[in-house]
Amino acid sequence: MNEQAFSGLRVLDCTQGVAGPYCTKLLADFGAEVIKVENPQGGDGTRSTGPFLKNEPHPEKSGAFFYLNTNKKSVTLNLESKEGAKIFKELVKRASVLVESFEPGKMAELGLAPELLREINPRLVITSISAYGQTGPYRNYKATNLTVYGTGGAMYTQRPGTKPTARPVIEGGFQAEYSTGVLSYIATISALIKRDNSDKGISVDISAMECVTSTLMGHIAEYSYLGLSRRTSPFAIHGYPIGYSVPCKDGWISLTPGIGGAPNIAFLIGKPELQDDPLLADTRTRMANPERFDALLIPWLKDRSKWEVTKEAQELRLAFTPVLSPEELLEDEQIKAREFFAKVDHPVMGEVTYPGAPAKLSGSPWQAGRAPLLGEHNEEIYGEIGYTKESLAKLKKKGIL
Amino acid sequence: MAYKLLDGIRILDLTMVFAGPVATKILAELGAEVIKIESIQRADVFTRANVYPENEPGKDPWNRGCLFHTLNAGKRGISLNLGSEEGREIFKRLIKISDAVVENYSPRVMENWGMGYEELKKIKSDIIMVSISGLGHYGPLRDFYMYVPGMEGMSGLTYITGFPGEPPLLSGCAYGDWVTGAHAAAALLTALYYRMQSGKGQYVDVSGREAVACHIGEILTGYTLNKQNPSMMGNRHASAAPHSCYRCRGEDSWVNIAVENDEQWQRFCKAIGSPAWTAEERFATNRSRWQNQDELDRLVEEWTIQHDHIEVMQILQEAGVAVGAALNMKEVNLNPHLIDRGFFQIIDHGDGIGKRPIASQMPAKFSEAESFVPKRAPRFGEDDEYVFGSLLKMSKVEMEKLAKDKIIGGPPTFPRGRPTRTDLIEQQKAGWFDPDYLNELREKHGEDLGQHG
Repeated sequence: MNEQAFSGLRVLDCTQGVAGPYCTKLLADFGAEVIKVENPQGGDGTRSTGPFLKNEPHPEKSGAFFYLNTNKKSVTLNLESKEGAKIFKELVKRASVLVESFEPGKMAELGLAPELLREINPRLVITSISAYGQTGPYRNYKATNLTVYGTGGAMYTQRPGTKPTARPVIEGGFQAEYSTGVLSYIATISALIKRDNSDKGISVDISAMECVTSTLMGHIAEYSYLGLSRRTSPFAIHGYPIGYSVPCKDGWISLTPGIGGAPNIAFLIGKPELQDDPLLADTRTRMANPERFDALLIPWLKDRSKWEVTKEAQELRLAFTPVLSPEELLEDEQIKAREFFAKVDHPVMGEVTYPGAPAKLSGSPWQAGRAPLLGEHNEEIYGEIGYTKESLAKLKKKGIL
Repeated sequence: MAYKLLDGIRILDLTMVFAGPVATKILAELGAEVIKIESIQRADVFTRANVYPENEPGKDPWNRGCLFHTLNAGKRGISLNLGSEEGREIFKRLIKISDAVVENYSPRVMENWGMGYEELKKIKSDIIMVSISGLGHYGPLRDFYMYVPGMEGMSGLTYITGFPGEPPLLSGCAYGDWVTGAHAAAALLTALYYRMQSGKGQYVDVSGREAVACHIGEILTGYTLNKQNPSMMGNRHASAAPHSCYRCRGEDSWVNIAVENDEQWQRFCKAIGSPAWTAEERFATNRSRWQNQDELDRLVEEWTIQHDHIEVMQILQEAGVAVGAALNMKEVNLNPHLIDRGFFQIIDHGDGIGKRPIASQMPAKFSEAESFVPKRAPRFGEDDEYVFGSLLKMSKVEMEKLAKDKIIGGPPTFPRGRPTRTDLIEQQKAGWFDPDYLNELREKHGEDLGQHG
């Protein structure tokens, strides 16, 4: 096994859903020992969320749970009970990091406020992930991926350049959550770096709404510098015709004529006489005439496949790219050459193939691993702090494990 | 707000446009010293040349583009021509005193210049080098030209975004670039942490398309389990309803509502005054609501359309229902919650532009760390004196010679500054303009905002 960045670092993971688990998954995939603390009544809610193997709902067959919890250990613990909270404090003593995603105020209610935890472990880094943060007028607002995508401002921009006042549609999957997850990971490592240099624990407060707003980048400044509230992609500048996918023979393709002019389109479509036409050669003319641009390209694309067009266009240095389905992604020659997908065995699901490293690190690489079964590591972890098999059985009976 | 967590870490930034600058903006907000390297021959034109304050390019348009400011505040900036042998020698001297370098040139460029990882490692053995590209630095398609539609489209994300029966949608906010930048910053910090433990540097290869694919990991895993391609779901939930974006009173006004179980449904019904249809059998259970959601959505919208989107949010939040207004860019800039939490960085331009709020790229609050307000983005070549003079101890004469040869100094080669075509934006409805934006911002962020003079 290769050396990893976080080898020997213990993380307590009291998160559920997507954002928190994605943060701790990254820590685990880069070598941390992540102990996922799950409630004894079914564990992380994602265990009951699909997609499931063979579409059969089962707590150990969720693809979503699998992907978001690779390389972690799982213990069960009822934090609502006094005894559970006491055991939790024992675990805190032996950890470097705690990541939690309870509603703001809940940790304090359980007698586990950050200040108290730092009394027993002064060097603890505590990352608190929530929809709206631990402070501010919205802190107790109820939220899901869909609703924070709205308040964060991203929803308003989610429309085709051709239909800028149409009903907005959310980015696929759980992007508010994943954005929050990756920023939580960054914040946690930065806090660890600071802690190692100063020896003091740090608390991190991270809000999903703010993470979504961060993803907007220039949209925010366009208002404060120009008074503009944009309804679509910044690349759909005045109808710049790449804000949507264009149909071709076997699906969809994205046309990005380039930030400058794109006279090579004339050669691609076999009409070299058009190379000096301002529609192709001049960005602003193209921006002002999206219909004329479409009228030129769409009929030509109709009889050609996405890869055929892409490869020809790339030869001409045109940034045309296919819209791939998951099935096509798995077949992509680049994805295969880079061995992007990982394969591991799981005791209930069998062999599982899933997306691998978000970045390839040469010295301390990402590693594949499976998700834990519910409570799989109870004996190992609680054994360390002195619990015997018998005492664990008793705790289980009392509903604490 | 930004925090000093990475004090003493120096990062050389060769990136341009969106993805790379997001990565180094995150690191700058965490307190690292980021030195952005451009040159007279090759400046970050796309962001420097877009969207000028009050739509006035001015005499030095390269210092005024707001996309550049929002992505490069808090960094230092120098001018150094890496296309020249002399420039590359100076770059290598900078490598000696730096911790990491981030670049997003096409694969091959750094190696052709003799600045690949193996070469840089000889100069500084524990250097961390991060390369950002669309499809990664090795593999048969590594030389593909692409922007954000490629990163999103080739990851599977575009395929699942949109309403059924309509074309799949590119993100509204260059999200693929953002994800790439965030994962590049994450990888750099992972490498930095490893260096603290081991003393070793390393090379990091970030493919934007792969980073984005990681953000739909559960969907891709779902495909490999059952070999069924997913379909576009619009704003719908896999098993619960109502769950969508609803039209509200007023122009282009929307609210997102997510009701995920029967208990929430009961609260929702009560909050909207329990109209008769809410008691109908076909809406009684999660499953039946989900099955009848075309009709359900129509009825919910009959209620939302009577209210302003902020009002809908307040009414339903009071009842404990997950709801969020789809805030527009004006509303985000003026949002009381974001302002209360210090989300915005109020950067000071002086020079006729005054102060302006920009979005944080690293919106976390840290205890036990000193906070600071980032300086505005560097004017072109602003830190030449600090970097070449103070850090590299070059003499004035030496610097003057380099400037004469256009290896350092300015101004950059730059297209004529052109205002944004506000007429086209209005005509095509790509956005709308608030003529009173400076006063609106002053009320929230202070009087010295946007002052001329």
